Amino acid sequence: MKSGSIHAGASLRPRDPVTGEALPERAQPGYYPGFSIMSQKAYWDRATREVVEARLKPASPLRFFSDDEAKLWTAVFDHILPQTDRIPERRIPLIPALDERLQENRTVGYRFEDMPHDRDVYKTIGIQAINAEARALYRRDFLGLAFVEQEGVLRAIHDGDARAGEALWKQMSIHRFWQLLTGDAIEAYYAHPWAWDEIGFGGPAYPRAYMRLERGEPEPWEAEERRYAWEGPVASLSDETNDASHHHTEAEQHGHRPGKRQP
Amino acid sequence: MKEPLFGPFREQGNGKHTLGPMQHIDVPMRRFREDEPVDYLIVGVGSAGGVLVQRLARAGFKVVGLEAGPFWDTERDWVSDEAGSHKLYWEDARITGGSDPLALGANNSGKGVGGGSVHWAAFTPRLHPSDFEVYTRDGVGADWPISYDELLPYYEQLEIEMPVAGPAYFPWGRPHGYAYGPHPMGGVGNALIRGCSKLGIPVCIGGPVAILSGSHGDRPHCIYRGFCIQGCKVGAKASTLITHVPDAIKSGAEIRELSMASRIEMGKDGRAAGIHYFDGEGRPHFQKAKAVIVAGYAIESPRLLLNSSCAGHENGLANSSDTVGRYLMAQAGNVVLGRFDELVRMYKAPPAHALSEEFYETDPKRGFARGFAIQTVAPLPIAFAKQMVAAKKAWGWGLRRELMDYNHWATFGVLGEILPWPENRVTLADEKDQFGIPVAHVSFNLHENDKRLIKFGKEKTFEVMYAAGATEVVQEARYAHLVGACRMGADPGTSVVDKFCRTHDVSNLFVCDGSVMPTQGSANPGLTIQALAARTADYLISQGDAIFTSNRRDMTPPRLRRGLAPPHTWGKGVPRLT
Repeated sequence: MKSGSIHAGASLRPRDPVTGEALPERAQPGYYPGFSIMSQKAYWDRATREVVEARLKPASPLRFFSDDEAKLWTAVFDHILPQTDRIPERRIPLIPALDERLQENRTVGYRFEDMPHDRDVYKTIGIQAINAEARALYRRDFLGLAFVEQEGVLRAIHDGDARAGEALWKQMSIHRFWQLLTGDAIEAYYAHPWAWDEIGFGGPAYPRAYMRLERGEPEPWEAEERRYAWEGPVASLSDETNDASHHHTEAEQHGHRPGKRQP
Repeated sequence: MKEPLFGPFREQGNGKHTLGPMQHIDVPMRRFREDEPVDYLIVGVGSAGGVLVQRLARAGFKVVGLEAGPFWDTERDWVSDEAGSHKLYWEDARITGGSDPLALGANNSGKGVGGGSVHWAAFTPRLHPSDFEVYTRDGVGADWPISYDELLPYYEQLEIEMPVAGPAYFPWGRPHGYAYGPHPMGGVGNALIRGCSKLGIPVCIGGPVAILSGSHGDRPHCIYRGFCIQGCKVGAKASTLITHVPDAIKSGAEIRELSMASRIEMGKDGRAAGIHYFDGEGRPHFQKAKAVIVAGYAIESPRLLLNSSCAGHENGLANSSDTVGRYLMAQAGNVVLGRFDELVRMYKAPPAHALSEEFYETDPKRGFARGFAIQTVAPLPIAFAKQMVAAKKAWGWGLRRELMDYNHWATFGVLGEILPWPENRVTLADEKDQFGIPVAHVSFNLHENDKRLIKFGKEKTFEVMYAAGATEVVQEARYAHLVGACRMGADPGTSVVDKFCRTHDVSNLFVCDGSVMPTQGSANPGLTIQALAARTADYLISQGDAIFTSNRRDMTPPRLRRGLAPPHTWGKGVPRLT
C-alpha cells in the first residue's frame, strides 16, 4: 500500500510563509541537510544495524488489513503524519508496521477499560466511528471527502467533539481512540532513519559512543542546524497546537471523564 | 572517516552467552529436577529476584528462579532503538482503569532476566528516614515495620554492588556520599543546574545513578549513548542480569527462562508445596519447593496470589487481611518540557543524571502532605512525539513541526509521592492471557492530597525550567514506577507480609519485590527493592533449614553478610563519607 504514489498538489504542500507559494518536495525535509544516519551504520552493533536496515526494505504484503481497510487507515494516517513535503520515494510507510503489530496481536501491554481490543478498533469499531463522524459532518464516508473535509473529521475527533454515533462512542473513548491512532503513527514514522535525518537525531551510538554532551554541539559526523521557515498547506487544519499544560493529571489531559464508562 | 578501520563492528561471536561486550556466562547452568523439592523457588528474576537468587545460591541453597521472559544475550537480543525494544517490557494483556488509569507496559513493567532493572533509567536515590514513618508524622499513608536505620546497611551494600555513581556529598534525607565519582553533564543536566541555581535551589549532579562512570571489572564505563531504557548494551548500567545473575549461576542456581507461573500449590500441611507454570511452548509443569518467594513486582505478584486461591484461601493466597492487591502506588511523573533557542540534543548522556530533592519532605505551608523530587529525563524521538501529542495536542503538520525542533528541547521529570489508598488495587479480570490465566485489572484514582501535590510540583518545575532559560514550557501529565499491592506491616490484619517479607498466612511463602513497600517517597524504587531483597536473603540464610521444617516465626533481625556479595565488590571506590 504505497501512499501518495503521485506528486502532491500544491494545495497539499507546505508553503513559504512570505510568498505563500508551495515549497518544493524534498528528499530530506528538516533543518539538517546532508545529515545521514545510515552513513554511520558500520559503527553500530550488528543487531541494531539489522533492525534499522529492515525499515528501509520494501514492506511485506499486508496480512491483517483488507485492501479497503488499509485504504482507509492509509488516508487517516496521511493526515496524522502528513508527508507531502517529501518526494514520493522518500515517504515513510506507516501502515505496514501497524498491520504487523495487529497480525501478531502485540499491544503496548495494557488496555484502557473504556477501550475495545486494538484489533477490534482497527478492524471495525474505529472505521465505523470515523465514517459516522464523516457522514454527520459532510454526509459522505471518509474516503469520499475532500482533503480539507477529512481534516475536519479528524480534528473533531482530536478535539473530542463527537457529532455522531453515540452508540459507538459508548464502546470506545474518543480520547483514547485518538491516543491509539497517533501512537501507532508515531511508532512507525519516528522509528524510521529518514525521520531521524529530518529531526537531527544522532541515533544508535553503540559501540562508538557520543562525545560532545554539552551545548548541543554536533559530533564530528552530525550536521549543524540550518533552519528554514514554512507553514502548513492551504488545505490543512493541523499546523497549530493547543497548550494542554494546564491539566495536572493524565486523565484530564487526555479528556478522560471519570464515571463515563461502558456498562 | 566513513568506515571503522577494520570494517563494520562485529561482536566476538564465540558462542558464549554475552552480557555487554566483555562479560559472558560460559559455566554450564545447573538443572534441578521438578519432582525433587528445591530449597527456594523464586518467581521473577528482576530487581529483587536477581539479588535473592544470587545470595541464596552463594549461601549454598538449591535455588531455581522462574522467569516469564527470556534469558537475554545482550549482544544478540538488544538494540539501540526505541521501536525495537518492546520485548524488554511486560506487554502481555492487562486492563487499566479507575478515574486515573495508569499506563503500564514500557512505562513500568519489565520482562526477561533482570526484569525492570534492564530498562530502568537507573536513578538510585535512597528513601528518606521520614518515609518509614509517614503515618506517625503526617497522619496519612502508613508506617513501615522497619526503620531507615534497619535498611541503611543494605543501601550502602547495594550502592557498592551495582555500583552507584554520585556526588561525594548528597545533602538530602540522611546525608551521605557515594563511593564512585559522578558523571559529566549532558544538556538536560546543565539546564537543571542553571534553573535550580538561579532560584537558589540546591541540585545534585552526575548521580546518584547505577551507571559506571569508570570501567569496573568486565564492565565498560558509560559511553553516553542515551538508550538506557532500551537496555544498556554497553553493560555500564547496572541490571541484576549483569550484576548478580552471573554469580548466581556460578554459585549453582538455575534460572529457568520463559517460565510463566500460574498458581502456587498448597500442601495438605498448609504450606506452599511448589508452583505450576507454563514453559515457552505452553506446556504445563509443576516444580516442587520447600519454600516459595514471589518476586513478580506490583502487578504480577498480587495477580499470582489471587490466582492461587484454594480451599482455606478462597480470597487468594496470603489474603486473609483482604490486602493483597490493595494500596498500589505509582509516582506522579509529570514531564515538564522546555524549548530553548540554542540546541540541547538531549538524546546524548543518560536520561538520569541530575536531580533535586529540595521539596521531598512535608511542608505544612504547601497545603498537602509529603513532596516530590525534580529529575532529568530525556525522551528519545518516539517518546517525545507522544509527549507533544499530550502536552500541545499536536497532530499532522503541527506534530511534524514540533519534532523538527526536537534538538531544542530539554525535559525535567517531577517525581511526586502519591499516597497508598485501599481502592487503588489489582484485581482479576474475566479476560485470560495466552496461557488461560486470568489477567490483572488495575484500578487507580488520585485523591485530593495527590492532586495538590502534583499541581505544586508541576508548577515549581515550570519555574525551574523558565529560570534555566526556556522560552516555552509545556507539560505532559503521567506516572512513573509501581509499588505496593502486597504491603509489609506488623499487623496481619492490615498487611500481607511481615518485616522479613514472609506472608502472615503461609509460613514458607514470601513476597519480596516493590509490592511490599507500604509507602514510596519521592525516590525511584529500584535501590530500595534490591536493598530489601538483600536484607530478606540475609534473614532467610540466618534461619538455616528452619523455614523448610517449621512454622515458627523468628523475628530476630539478621546480620549483614557482606561475604555473600558478588566477588570483587569490596576494595574499590572512594571510602564513604559518613
